[in-house]
Amino acid sequence: MSKPTDIALLLEGTYPYVRGGVSSWVHQIITGLPSVTFSLIFVGGRRTDYGEIRYELPKNVVHVETHYLEDAWKQSKGALPSRAGANQFAHSEDLHNFLKYSAAGKCPDGVDIAQLGWTADKVLSMLERPDGLCINDYLSHPIAWEHIRKAHLEGDDQASFVDYFWSLRLMHGPLFQLARIANTAAPARAFHTISTGYAGFLGALLQRRRQRPLILTEHGIYTKERRIDLNQADWFEQLHAGREDASLGTTHALRELWIRFFESLGRLTYRAADPIISLYEGNRSRQLQDGAENVRTRVIVNGIDPKRFAPAFSQRGGEVPRVVGLIGRVVPIKDVKTFIRTMRQVILEVPDAQGWIIGGSDEDPAYAQECEALARSLGISEKLRFLGHQNVIEILPKLGVLMLTSISEAQPLAILEAFAAGVPCVATDVGACREQIEGGTPEDRALGHAGRVVPFADADALARAAVELLSDSTTWHACQTAARQRVAKHYSQEAMLDAYLKVYQSALEV
Amino acid sequence: MAGVGFSLKKLRDDDSYAGLIRLYGAAGIISSGPWLLSILTLLFIGLIGRQLVPNTEALQRFQVSVTWLFAASLLWTGPLQLMFTRFIADRDYLGEHDETLPNLFGALAVVGAATFALALPFVLQFDDSSWMFKWLLASAFVVLSQTWMAIIVLTGLRAHMHVFGCFALGYGVTFLGCMAGARFGETGLLAGFLAGQSALLFSALAVLAKKMPAKSAVAFRFLERRSLFVELGVVGLLYNLGVWIDKLIFWWSPGTGHRVLGPLYASEVYDLPIFLAYLTIVPGMAVFLVRVETDFAEAHHAFYAAVRNGAPLLRLETLCGEMTDSARRAVIDIVKVQGITLAVCATLGPWMLSVAGISELHLPLFYIDAAGVALQVIMLAVTSMFFYLDRRRAVSWLTFMLFVTNALLTWVTQRMGPEFYGYGFAIAMALTSLAGLVALSRTFQHLVRDTFMRQPVVSS
Repeated sequence: MSKPTDIALLLEGTYPYVRGGVSSWVHQIITGLPSVTFSLIFVGGRRTDYGEIRYELPKNVVHVETHYLEDAWKQSKGALPSRAGANQFAHSEDLHNFLKYSAAGKCPDGVDIAQLGWTADKVLSMLERPDGLCINDYLSHPIAWEHIRKAHLEGDDQASFVDYFWSLRLMHGPLFQLARIANTAAPARAFHTISTGYAGFLGALLQRRRQRPLILTEHGIYTKERRIDLNQADWFEQLHAGREDASLGTTHALRELWIRFFESLGRLTYRAADPIISLYEGNRSRQLQDGAENVRTRVIVNGIDPKRFAPAFSQRGGEVPRVVGLIGRVVPIKDVKTFIRTMRQVILEVPDAQGWIIGGSDEDPAYAQECEALARSLGISEKLRFLGHQNVIEILPKLGVLMLTSISEAQPLAILEAFAAGVPCVATDVGACREQIEGGTPEDRALGHAGRVVPFADADALARAAVELLSDSTTWHACQTAARQRVAKHYSQEAMLDAYLKVYQSALEV
Repeated sequence: MAGVGFSLKKLRDDDSYAGLIRLYGAAGIISSGPWLLSILTLLFIGLIGRQLVPNTEALQRFQVSVTWLFAASLLWTGPLQLMFTRFIADRDYLGEHDETLPNLFGALAVVGAATFALALPFVLQFDDSSWMFKWLLASAFVVLSQTWMAIIVLTGLRAHMHVFGCFALGYGVTFLGCMAGARFGETGLLAGFLAGQSALLFSALAVLAKKMPAKSAVAFRFLERRSLFVELGVVGLLYNLGVWIDKLIFWWSPGTGHRVLGPLYASEVYDLPIFLAYLTIVPGMAVFLVRVETDFAEAHHAFYAAVRNGAPLLRLETLCGEMTDSARRAVIDIVKVQGITLAVCATLGPWMLSVAGISELHLPLFYIDAAGVALQVIMLAVTSMFFYLDRRRAVSWLTFMLFVTNALLTWVTQRMGPEFYGYGFAIAMALTSLAGLVALSRTFQHLVRDTFMRQPVVSS
C-alpha cells in the first residue's frame, strides 16, 4: 500500500464480518459514496467468533486488514525488550491521573489538568515506539509493579488482588497491541471510527501518530452497552466462587474497574476525534456527559433509500398479516426473551398470530438456546419461528407489525426500513425509537404516530400495543401512512450521504 | 453495535499458581535424607565393626567399599532422584495417585538395568577380589540405587511409622548380617550389608504396594519428554558432586589417599574426622526438619493459597512477611543449635576422637569439619526454600557454586599443607551458604512482586 486511501474505517466487531444495523449502515455509506476510497481496519476479539466476510465489498474498498485482540500476548514475544525508565512511567502516571481527574470532573489543587492531558497525548503517541512504553515494560518493569500496587491500595484495598492484577493485564495487553497495529496500519488521509472502545482508541493513536483527522460516529453509546454487558456477565460471580479470602466487594470492584476502563477509552477517543457524530439528540447529550467537547459534537440521522423499499411496499396485499416480527440479532441486548413472552400473550388474544425472529443467532449461541427453550416451555414453539438472517425486502411485506424489545438501541435502521416498506412498529422506549415512531420536531410530530412506544421489559404493554395494531385496521393504516411520510421526509439517505460527504471532504482538506 | 465478544472468562492459567503449592518440599528431604543416612551408616559400621571383625584390613576394605557404594550411587542417581521427585509431585498435584506406583516400578526397572550395566565393567577391575565379592559389590550398587528412588516415594507418603519400621528392619538385618558374615572377611560383611539394604528396599516396596493404589503394574510415563526436568537433573548431579568432591580429591591425591582395593581409594587423614563431624549435625537437621519442612512449609502454603483465593494485597504482603520471618527463624535456629553443638564439640572433641579411635592429631581437622558441616545444613535449608519457591535457577547456581568452590578450595588448601586440610570444604560451604542467604533475602524482598509479575501470560 503506497498510496493512502481517503478514509480508513476503524471497525470493532462489526462490518464486514458481522451482519446487523451498524454493518448495513457502513455498507450504505461506502456504496453511497463511490467517489471516496476506503480501507477497512477490523478489530475483533477472537478469530473463532467471526467467519467469512458477509458482504460483497464495493469497488471503492481498496484495502482490508483484520486484527484480533486475542493475539495481544502472542505478539509480545517479538515486541521491544523492556527498556523504559522512570521518566516514561512518570508520564504514564500522568495519563492515568488525567483519566481519573477527568472522570471525577475535578482535580486536586495545583494540578494542571491541561498539562496532564498534553502528557497523556504524548504517552499514547509514543506507545510501542523506541522511546515510549512497550508491552514488556508493562509486564516486567519494577516501576510498573509499583504503579499497580499503588492503584490497588488507593482503590478498594480489600478486594481480591489476583483478580485485580490480571484484570489490569487483560486490559492493557490489547492497548499495546493496538499501538503496534497503529505502527503498521495502511496509510489513510483520514480515519473514521464507528465506535469508541478499542477501535476508538486505535483511532486516537492513529490521529496522534499520523497527524490526520479522526472522525467518530457512534450509533449506540459504546460505554453504556459495555456497562450492560458487564452487569449481565456472570463471569465475576464465578471468579468469586469458592474463594474464602476474596472480599464480597471484589465482584463490584472488578465490574467498576472494567466500566472505568471502557469509559477511559471513550474519553481518549472523544479527545482525539472531531467531529463526534451521533444519530440523535439523546446520544449527543450522553456524549457530552461522557467528556465530549460540545463544539465537536453533531447529529446526523440515519437515512434510507425509499426506492429500495418500493418493491417491498408494492408486494403487500390488502390484509394485514397476523405476523409480529423482531428484526435483530438473537443477543441479550435485544431482549428476545421479552419478545417471546409478549408473543404468548398476543397469541392468547389473537389465536392466528405468529411471531418471527429474524436475525442471526450465532453470536451468542447459549442465549439463542435459552430463547428456544423458553418458547417451548411457554407452549408456543409452533407459532414462534427463528428464521435467521433474511433479506429485509422479501420479509417485510409478510409482517404486520415490527417489534423491537431492545434494552438499548441507537436509531435502529430496522424501524426506518419497516416504515419505508409500510410496516408500523412497536418499540421499547430506548434510544431514538420514540423520535422515530412519534416524531422529533413539531413538524415531524404533526405527521402522527407510526406505531407505539412502550417501556422496556414490559411484555403486557408490548402485547397490548401489538394486539391493538393487529386487530384495529383503521389505526394500523393511519400508522402506516405516518410511517411512510416520516421516513421519506426526515430520514432520507440522500441527506445522510450528503452530510457524510461534507464531513469527509473537510477532513481530507486538512 | 455488535460487541467485540471479548472473552473475559479465561483470565489466566489458574494452574500456574496452584503449581507452586505442590508437595515440592519433598526435594528438600531427598537431597538431605539419603546423604545423612549414608554417613550415619558408615559411622555405625565403623564403630561396631572394630568389635566384630578381628581382621582390620578386611574391615577397612569393607568400609571403603561401602563408602564408595554410597558416594557412587548418590552421584549416579542424584539427577534421577530430583527429576523423579518432581514427576511424583506433579502426579500428586494432579490427583493421579494411581500413577505413582507403576512409574516407581518402571523407574526401578530402568535404574536397576542401567546401574547393573554401569557396575559391570567397573567391578571387573577388582583384580585381587573374589568373584563372589565382585558380584556382591555390583548387586549392592544396584540395590542402593533403587533404594534411593523408593525412599522418594516412601517419604512422600508421610507414613512415618512405616518408614521408621522399614529402616529399623533394614539396619537390624544389616547389623545381624554383618555379625554373621564377619568371619568371612569383607565378602561376608558385604553380604550382610546387601541383605540389610535388600530388606530395606523390599519392605519399603511392600509398604508402598499395600498403601498406594496402582493403575497398572509398570509404567514409564516418567520418561516422557515433558516429564523430564533436565534442569533438576543437573542440580541433582551438581549437588552430590559438590558434597563429595572434597572427599574424592583427598582419596585420589597421592599424598593423602591410597588404593584400598580394586580402583577404590581412601584417605586415612581425611575420612574419619569428616564422617565423625557429620554426626554433629543431627541437632541442626532436626531443627531443619521442624523449621523448614514444617513451619516454613506452612507459611509458604498459606501465602500461595491466599494468592489463589483472592486475598487483598495488604494481606498478601503480611503473609509474605510471615513466610520471610519463618525463613529467617529457620536459619537463625540452625545457627544457634549448631553453634551450641560446635561449642560442645570443642569441649568433648578429644573424647569423641578417642571413642572413635582417631588420633588427637586430627582434632583441628575435626573442628573445621564440624564448622563446615554446620554451614552445610544452612546451605541445605536455603536450597530447600528455593525449591519451595520454585526458583530452580537459583538452586542451579548455588549447587554449581558449591561444586566449583569445594573442588577449587579443597585442591588449593590441600597443597598448603596438613594444617589447612578441611579448610577448603569449610570455606566453600561458608561462601555458598552466604551467597545463598543473600540471594534468598533478595528473593523474599521482591517475592510478592515476582509472584505476580513473573507469571507468564497465557493466550486462551
